[in-house]
Amino acid sequence: MVSAMEIYMLLPKTNCKKCGLPTCMAFAVGLLGREKKLEECTPLFEEKKYEAKLAKLKDIVAPLESASETGLIIHPEKCFGCGNCVIACPVNVAAEPTRCGAGLGPEGDRVILRVEDGVVVANNLQECRRFGPNRVLCNACTATCPSKAIEFV
Amino acid sequence: MAVDVKVVTYRDIFQYGAEKMGLHSEEYLKLSASIILDKQDMARLGVAEGGKVTVENELNRIVVNATASADKPHPGLAFMIKSPWSNQLEGDESCLPGVAGVRGIRAKVSPSTEGITQMDEILQRLRA
Amino acid sequence: MTEFNYKTCTGCSLICEDILFPDAVSGSFSHAKNLCRKGQAHYKALFSERAEPLVEGSEVSLDQAIEKAAEILRKARAPVIYGWSNCTLEAQEAGLALAAKIGAFVDDPSSYCEGQLMERILSGKIPSCTLDDVRNFADTTIFWGSDPSSTQPRHLSRFSYFPRGEKRQKSYEEERTCIVVDVRESPTAKLCPNTTYRVMPGEDLQFLEAVLAVLEGKIPRFGDKKKMIELGSIIKKTEYGVIFPGPAMLDSLRDQMDRFEELVRRLNEVTTFKVVPMTGQYNSRGFSQLLFDRTGRVKGVRFAASGEAAAEAPSLVEAVKGADGILVLGSDPLLDLPIGLARAFAAAPIIAIDPRLSLTADVARVVIPSAISGLETGGTALRTDGVKVTFEPSIKSDHLADEQILTRIMEEI
Repeated sequence: MVSAMEIYMLLPKTNCKKCGLPTCMAFAVGLLGREKKLEECTPLFEEKKYEAKLAKLKDIVAPLESASETGLIIHPEKCFGCGNCVIACPVNVAAEPTRCGAGLGPEGDRVILRVEDGVVVANNLQECRRFGPNRVLCNACTATCPSKAIEFV
Repeated sequence: MAVDVKVVTYRDIFQYGAEKMGLHSEEYLKLSASIILDKQDMARLGVAEGGKVTVENELNRIVVNATASADKPHPGLAFMIKSPWSNQLEGDESCLPGVAGVRGIRAKVSPSTEGITQMDEILQRLRA
Repeated sequence: MTEFNYKTCTGCSLICEDILFPDAVSGSFSHAKNLCRKGQAHYKALFSERAEPLVEGSEVSLDQAIEKAAEILRKARAPVIYGWSNCTLEAQEAGLALAAKIGAFVDDPSSYCEGQLMERILSGKIPSCTLDDVRNFADTTIFWGSDPSSTQPRHLSRFSYFPRGEKRQKSYEEERTCIVVDVRESPTAKLCPNTTYRVMPGEDLQFLEAVLAVLEGKIPRFGDKKKMIELGSIIKKTEYGVIFPGPAMLDSLRDQMDRFEELVRRLNEVTTFKVVPMTGQYNSRGFSQLLFDRTGRVKGVRFAASGEAAAEAPSLVEAVKGADGILVLGSDPLLDLPIGLARAFAAAPIIAIDPRLSLTADVARVVIPSAISGLETGGTALRTDGVKVTFEPSIKSDHLADEQILTRIMEEI
């Protein structure tokens, strides 16, 4: 996953405050935390000298936009379809103890992760333990992935 | 400039998928005609990431793409996905197939300006 | 409660039986559930590059192809039948009947590497167990020269590391340790970085001796001493350990399998340790078992005209070089085998029975298209741990199953 520093290196680094934050570094962190949008840095879009950097930034920021509220991102092109995350997810196991708990594919709809068409897909993310007021830093799915196909922002 | 390596073959899930798509497909060629070299070995050869190298031994020579290893350093060791390309370098007349092991595949790697060895070429060599 | 119409995947030797095709009614495989990437590719293969009946490169009818195949085999004085591991047990039985009839030499791709291990497991010299036992009881699993994430992707999630089991309710978080012994940082190694042991090609024996040393309480003479001693501690605390040797390790220890036997014996003095093979194609074990039951051997066997196995058998390369007719069943030797063997195959008259176009089919005299077993035809097979799996086809097909083709060839001869 891209770091705040990598994003910062592509920003104007003028600390002009047009985005509402005091420094470009703060903006980089805000982008990563999806509290800020790239468009809020108006100089990037208005000044021609930032064209190349803007293009790179757009590429980097794209996956962040598709990340869920829990911060989960799936890269299907990297996924092995191994099902490790499906079996490791505590919500999956609680929902289907005789299926996911025992290594088998889920039968119901209450699971978060399932393997479809050879790769993992996520649903019901509001059930994820990283979500909501009582959230915890559960990382069962990312820690069990052999190819970093599933990540947190 | 050449580097002596021992080539270890391994299995890759994406290459399996490409194999099922088609043995003459671009995807299969890209994944199979490829060698992973230790970063230092690549630097010594002066080969850039994705650059072409000739890999040859007394059995055959092939031209493949080189990628830098992300693993801990392993100079003198190279990795290739088990494929008809890696098979070109393996198994003399005594013919015991294997992934690498004691016999392993010993080869010389050097930078190349030729084209990547194509599947048709390999098929021709097998028929010859 | 909805009835689930589970299908079986024959993409690898785990033979997963919980595959769902919700759109199958409309003839589509989209939204397939629980198929790993490998299984998905295996199913997609149904739709591309299918073989057609050919004789000397020209299109013919299926009957003509079968007749020509029968002709070649009838006349052959040193026939070979090779492949086998992608066929159902029924097809393998039919093929062995054919082999006995024509006095063929039979061999399969796995026999070289896994053959030595398989023979010891089938004869009971090395203790083994089922993958279900692994899930229920194993607290230490050792992948030695194998990378299940790439070859049997659901291995860790179905059986060997992540699922809960009868005695392993807390599973990988607290009750299971996964150890990887490999030359590179494979995807499986990435999952257990603290228990990965790096072993260079050819060093497996030294690693093995080091393990034996730490079990005796001696200082190991190989590897990071602290880490090896740690490994010794893990083993001593293990209740039910399982080793999964892969082709890299088996090739390296090819001439030292007795030492491996000794290691397993010694491990079983300390605690319980089993060995489960990692076979390549989905029914390698089935063929090994059939051949073993019939002849006591798992590697290349030549059948005499009486149907008995001859005492002496040539090596595969000798058999192929001297062959005047090779029947290749659901395998692609030109793709898989090292060059010496591949060229020997290419030089002989080949009859390829294959669902799809392969390099071998490209050079074959006769190509007979078959159904993809497990997807288009049903049958039985043995999972890599020997458990028998019976399956129905997932889709209808006009292609003949391997055993039907073999029976017809036998009739023609």
